[in-house]
Amino acid sequence: MMIELLTKKYPGMRLWLAQRLSAVVMAVYLLVFALLLIVKQPAGYEAWMNLMSPWWWRLFTLLFFVSLVMHAWLGIRDVFKDYIFNPGLRAIFQLLVDVLLMIYLGWTIVILWSM
Amino acid sequence: MPSTQQRRRPKNLNLFTIRLPVNAIISIMHRMSGMVLFLILPAMLWALHQSVASEISYLALAGLLNHWLPKTVLVVLSWAFFHHFYAGLRHLAMDVHWMKSLPKARFSSRLVLCLDVLSVTLLAAMIW
Repeated sequence: MMIELLTKKYPGMRLWLAQRLSAVVMAVYLLVFALLLIVKQPAGYEAWMNLMSPWWWRLFTLLFFVSLVMHAWLGIRDVFKDYIFNPGLRAIFQLLVDVLLMIYLGWTIVILWSM
Repeated sequence: MPSTQQRRRPKNLNLFTIRLPVNAIISIMHRMSGMVLFLILPAMLWALHQSVASEISYLALAGLLNHWLPKTVLVVLSWAFFHHFYAGLRHLAMDVHWMKSLPKARFSSRLVLCLDVLSVTLLAAMIW
């Protein structure tokens, strides 16, 4: 039944699932991050970089931000659909959010790349 | 032109007479905190960038945050994060049909509020 719900017949279900899966990815990342902070107690720049710069952690961080962008896109879209009734105006706001989120994702890649 | 009868129709749009149940309060706060988190995202990315770019920018950021005003702003904004986090976990639990009956949902809503207050207080105690 689950598979049936995820076919083209019910496009909204995929978005619904994407919202939940991205939430789970972010929750796991944040729990691991909190644990690392508690265990390592990084003090100073060097300790902070030791925590943040391993390649696998940067990859996980990128996954976190990809999930965040997806999650925010779906969430903001729902809010706009509920409160902005003029379709033209809503399209303009949505475009603004789309552009902003793409910029944020590019910015994240720059931050992680230059570490 | 509407008749006098129509114009005198009673309205119940006085928001102060409508009392939202605790589940509804949690739900609308989840939405509002989500918007807040989206709006402060550039500031978060900027701080992350400063913290890893170089030791100089790291120390500059640390110096900037070591002041009562940014600390207060951080604590207030952390409420948005903690609420969105805990209320989101509650939604996920309900998606898998856990804690779904009305009394249990009311209980988990109150639990979310308690965890919000506890987490924000703990964060404030840690950074001060």
